[in-house]
Amino acid sequence: MLGFDGVTKSFGPVTALDGCTFTARPGRLTGFVGPNGAGKTTAMRAVFGLTELDAGTIRWRGVTVSAAERTRFGYMPEERGLYPRMRVREQLVYLGRLCGRSAAGAGRSVDGWLGRLGLAARAADRLDALSHGNQQRVQLIAALVGEPDLLVLDEPFSGLDPLAMGAMADLLADVAAGGVTVLFSSHQLDLVQDLCQDVVIIDHGRIVLAGELAGLRAAAPERFVDIRYQGPAPDWSRLAPVAVVEAGEGQARLRAGPGTDVAAVLATVQACADIVSFGYQPPTLSELFRQAVTA
Amino acid sequence: MNGVRQSWLVAKRELRERSRSRAFLASVILMAVTAGAMLILPAVLVPGGSARDVGLTGRAPAALAATVAGQAHAAGFTARIHRYASLAAGEQAVRQGRVDVLVSGAQRLEWRGRADQQLEAVVTGAIQLAVVRERAAAAGIRPEAAAALLAPVPVSSAELGHMAGRSPGDETAVIVMIGILFFCIAIFGAMVLNGVLEEKTSRVVEVLLARIPARALLAGKITGIGLLGLAQIAVTALAALVAITAVGSVDVPAIRGSVLAWAIVWFVLGYALYATVYGALGSLGSRAEDAQAVAGPVTIVLPAAYFASFFMIAQPASMAARVISYFPLTAPMAMPGRIAMGATAWWEPVLAAVLTLAAIIGLVLLAGRIYTAAILHGGPRLSLRAAWRGAPAPAAPAARTGTQTTAPAGHRVRATEGRKRAMATTDQNSHRLLITTLTGIAVALGIAVAVLSSDVIAGVIAGAGFLAISVQMIKLWTGHSGPPVSPH
Repeated sequence: MLGFDGVTKSFGPVTALDGCTFTARPGRLTGFVGPNGAGKTTAMRAVFGLTELDAGTIRWRGVTVSAAERTRFGYMPEERGLYPRMRVREQLVYLGRLCGRSAAGAGRSVDGWLGRLGLAARAADRLDALSHGNQQRVQLIAALVGEPDLLVLDEPFSGLDPLAMGAMADLLADVAAGGVTVLFSSHQLDLVQDLCQDVVIIDHGRIVLAGELAGLRAAAPERFVDIRYQGPAPDWSRLAPVAVVEAGEGQARLRAGPGTDVAAVLATVQACADIVSFGYQPPTLSELFRQAVTA
Repeated sequence: MNGVRQSWLVAKRELRERSRSRAFLASVILMAVTAGAMLILPAVLVPGGSARDVGLTGRAPAALAATVAGQAHAAGFTARIHRYASLAAGEQAVRQGRVDVLVSGAQRLEWRGRADQQLEAVVTGAIQLAVVRERAAAAGIRPEAAAALLAPVPVSSAELGHMAGRSPGDETAVIVMIGILFFCIAIFGAMVLNGVLEEKTSRVVEVLLARIPARALLAGKITGIGLLGLAQIAVTALAALVAITAVGSVDVPAIRGSVLAWAIVWFVLGYALYATVYGALGSLGSRAEDAQAVAGPVTIVLPAAYFASFFMIAQPASMAARVISYFPLTAPMAMPGRIAMGATAWWEPVLAAVLTLAAIIGLVLLAGRIYTAAILHGGPRLSLRAAWRGAPAPAAPAARTGTQTTAPAGHRVRATEGRKRAMATTDQNSHRLLITTLTGIAVALGIAVAVLSSDVIAGVIAGAGFLAISVQMIKLWTGHSGPPVSPH
């Protein structure tokens, strides 16, 4: 369990982190989302001691994080980079040994990951001889080679094609299923919603929402109705307490506030059109995010 | 997992990766071959021990051939005598290079090009001797009396050099040793600077620093490259030893075992001192092209220390030589020079080493602070001042001011910019004042040195050197890349 407790950091007049408190739990994927410049990178760097804190503590399994704990952490920074002229396998083994692993142990991990990500044939090549996508894979292995208990990834999905994105998502889910605590930042909110059990939303250095995603969505007061229908469009204005989020050809998304009578909505639509599908759902992560950040 | 083990891993990586590079292998071979060649070539090129061919033609004393051979033997080479029936045949032999010199009628020496001075002296001397013996015989003087009369008086010459027990040959050897120390410190120091800059520009440094402390990374890098430097020096020294053995004629009493041991100690100290500074300066840059700019002060100080040590050879026991052999920035080249010249008491190198070690410890603390603050800074090239105060806004908050348009953030940015502009104006005023003051100090220093050393050139060098170094330091401290520009 990774715990932020009142973590604060200023750069001159700019407050980057303002009393951040949240946790990330083992065996789960925690999505870390927020607008550009909200403080995500600064918070992740702080886990690795790359940012000196003004106040607050970061704990791992209840202990304030120090160099000893960090050897069990894996990190993929936002600014990707490895030694361009070093051979892939040697470089990864070296990074594994810096985490305190033996040469043989790090070698086994590296070979396993290279095989799994389809890079076994490139092990002896120089990094700069690899394609951009393959370099990204090597960067990911660099974070995994220490067999970490905590994996922190800053924008792991940026710059990936759809196939690679899927592979990355599967891999992160697998790693978390193995009992690892995984915290990653992303701007792709739909993907975070599909993938993560937990979510942390940060804005202007403050944590504005944090916890189990399903619980956060359920706890939101409003619900959304998604309708697909055939026939003429109903007169939406007659559904007074319900607001139209969007309405198009044969479909609509409506926001229903607390106490809305869903049966009445259903009946009104049914009166003039054939309903193809009808959904009643809590807000998506995107909607939670927009509300939390503009509030 | 401790810092020492991690530093050693970093050092091993530097050794492995760099010893593989073709450029490094080429430089090792080049330096070894150069050192070997410098020792072997003079012995091969100076025609000392080889045989020479002397042609004789026309009328000459009967004993001339034997006298030439005898004189040549005394001078340390063999003369092969060839006789030619005609002048034309002899000259033909000279032109074709079959003989080095043609003696015509015991009166005229003919060469193909410029006269070989040693051979000329030997042949001329032999002619004089042979002719005088012939005349003595003609005058009725007995051969024994003539021989006694003409017996050469042995005159020897000695090269005193600047110090008792050290010949000019020794001085040359010491100058070569100081030169090798200078080049190795400069080359491997610059390697540290470029290595630090490379890790920063390739962004790998963030991956590394998530695992190991900044100081352990810098220490490991300096150690690894330093071991590489020692290896190169060892290979060069080995090549020199092999060359000396092969030639068998070079005798350099100044380069003894104890002197070599001290030279290695001083390489380690000098390299540690300068590499620490190079490492800190390298962390200030943000692109590979910044290497020149951030290295500014060291690129003046290090050659200045070299030249000071170089000129010290002439008076290794003087007060000036003592001072520069204790001063930590110059000691790594000046002290081994004085040791090799035999101008030190046993405790002097020890004291200088302790002083240098203390300076290294101080620099490690300073450099560690600058390096730690600057190495993760994402923006443009840092000034030394910014790094010293602990690098301000890194990449993330900078991006925030760029994208954020809300009112409070906007106010903050405007306020900061206003303050920056105000700071820039006062900066320029104080900058001008500073330059004027420094020029005054430099002139005073130059005059003082000139008066004390009664050497105008030394004074000019001291004053100009001080000004150049301090201007470089100010540029680095403030981050100004050129002279101050006027506002707006």
